[in-house]
Amino acid sequence: MRGILLLTRTEISRLRRNKRYLLFTIALPVILYLIVAKQGKAAYGVQFAAYYMVAMATFGSFSGALNGNAIRISEERKVGWIRQLRLTPLPANAYLVAKILTSMVTTIPSVVIVLVLGRFYGGVHLPLWQWFVVAVIVWLGATIFAALAVAIGYRFAPDQVQPIAMLIYFVFSTLGGIWFPLTSGVLQKIGEGTPTYETVKISTDVIGSLTVPPGLIIGLVVWLAIFAGLATLSVRSMAETV
Amino acid sequence: MSQSGTRPVVSFENVSKHYGSLKAVDGLSLDLRPGETVALLGPNGAGKSTSLDMLLALRKPTSGKIRMFGSDPYHAVKSGQVGAMLQSGGLMPEVTVRELVTLVAGLHPRPVPVATTLRRAGLESVADQRVDRLSGGQTQRVRFALAIVGECDLIVLDEPTTAMDVETRQRFWASMKEEVAEGKTLLFATHYLEEADQAADRVLVINRGRLLADGTPAEIKARAGAKQLSFRLPAVNESFLLGLPGLVSLDVRGEVVHIQTSDSDATLYEVLDAGYRPSEIEVSGLGLEQAFLAITAEDDRDAGAEPGAAQTAQTAQTARTAR
Repeated sequence: MRGILLLTRTEISRLRRNKRYLLFTIALPVILYLIVAKQGKAAYGVQFAAYYMVAMATFGSFSGALNGNAIRISEERKVGWIRQLRLTPLPANAYLVAKILTSMVTTIPSVVIVLVLGRFYGGVHLPLWQWFVVAVIVWLGATIFAALAVAIGYRFAPDQVQPIAMLIYFVFSTLGGIWFPLTSGVLQKIGEGTPTYETVKISTDVIGSLTVPPGLIIGLVVWLAIFAGLATLSVRSMAETV
Repeated sequence: MSQSGTRPVVSFENVSKHYGSLKAVDGLSLDLRPGETVALLGPNGAGKSTSLDMLLALRKPTSGKIRMFGSDPYHAVKSGQVGAMLQSGGLMPEVTVRELVTLVAGLHPRPVPVATTLRRAGLESVADQRVDRLSGGQTQRVRFALAIVGECDLIVLDEPTTAMDVETRQRFWASMKEEVAEGKTLLFATHYLEEADQAADRVLVINRGRLLADGTPAEIKARAGAKQLSFRLPAVNESFLLGLPGLVSLDVRGEVVHIQTSDSDATLYEVLDAGYRPSEIEVSGLGLEQAFLAITAEDDRDAGAEPGAAQTAQTAQTARTAR
């Protein structure tokens, strides 16, 4: 356990030097929020600034967990760092555990910064418990993408990972109602099944004090199971080639 | 015989690794005893890397058993008893040399002070540079540093001095001798046969996944046919030469004949007895490199295999010598 924490700490400190990570997870959602938050009409039963706050917090944290991790894992496998770690006393699964812990820590700033922005720039007023619950939902909803990142990063070469991760990122943000709320039509029918939509909608339902349909929560759990399953398959099938 | 009672540090018991129909390692059995410095030699594709990978629990044998310090390789590695440096091992990018060495030392149950490791690996001057901005030789030294960050009982090195210049290589072996002097067992694979000759007290030659020879460098040289006999002989009869006693290998270039022989006296007398009067007679001992090539070439010939692998190694050697 001490080894995992040590590795996690090193991972976090090197991520701070990564400009790409800072751009995608923090700068982009903040800039978009500043531009767009005051432009729209109410969505999902809450004021637009509240919807967009949740959407941007989800966007920053999920893209950080997915893009950053998938490419790094693939590169670290290619250069042989994963192999090198296997020669240390660190347990075999520690590398992945540390990656997921790192994601959980490093998505916190993007969630917190966007929520703070929602409060003081967007004028979103919520009871304390709602702030807390929304933050945790968005945080956990994004974390499941770390498992998907493992599945992709472990199986594909870095030059393949880039387009695959971008495609998933684009599909889940558009269909998930990150750029604009899904209101009707085919797009919504499909989009309702995405983990990004489920994360945003659970949060806005909490804010609107509506009851959260259990289907949304079950949906997220199913996605987690799928991503974790894919990750396990990738790790097992590549065990002798890392 | 004083060591016959000691438990081997490493033992391979009839270990094989097959990839489909390819037998990368084919029934390998060997023991390493405590405190030995052992060189693992073999042409490219002989199964060296696969054997080291299995020893370090990176790959599982198809059959057979590997023991390290009396337990399975995975547990020996995870208990910090082994320090290893592989060609295929990489470094975490975006961190400094010092951060990386500190991290890996921290993972070890018996860490060596970071400053000591940096000094032994000759990394003090680049300690605060990022590892992804180092030269090939410096990167190799970082890999070596990661192999010695912990107090371990066995060090495994796969072609440790590749990409090092001559001076760095000498420093490397000097610091390696410090490690060995502490009683550690050292197993290394190398392409530089003079390194095996100088550093190892035991040499293992493997080819096509099997152990061909096992002994001190002197024994390996003797086994390959101790002498090289050369002379000039016009109108030479090759079938006569092939029948000479003690002959290990024959190479005729125009009038010049090179013979590797296990008994140079008997070989030469037979030539003279047959009435030939060769000129420019030379008898010389074989180096480890020639012995190695003779052993692997003989094995390839016996198997009727293409001697491609051995030739690749020979070409690589020649290229290096030329440089």
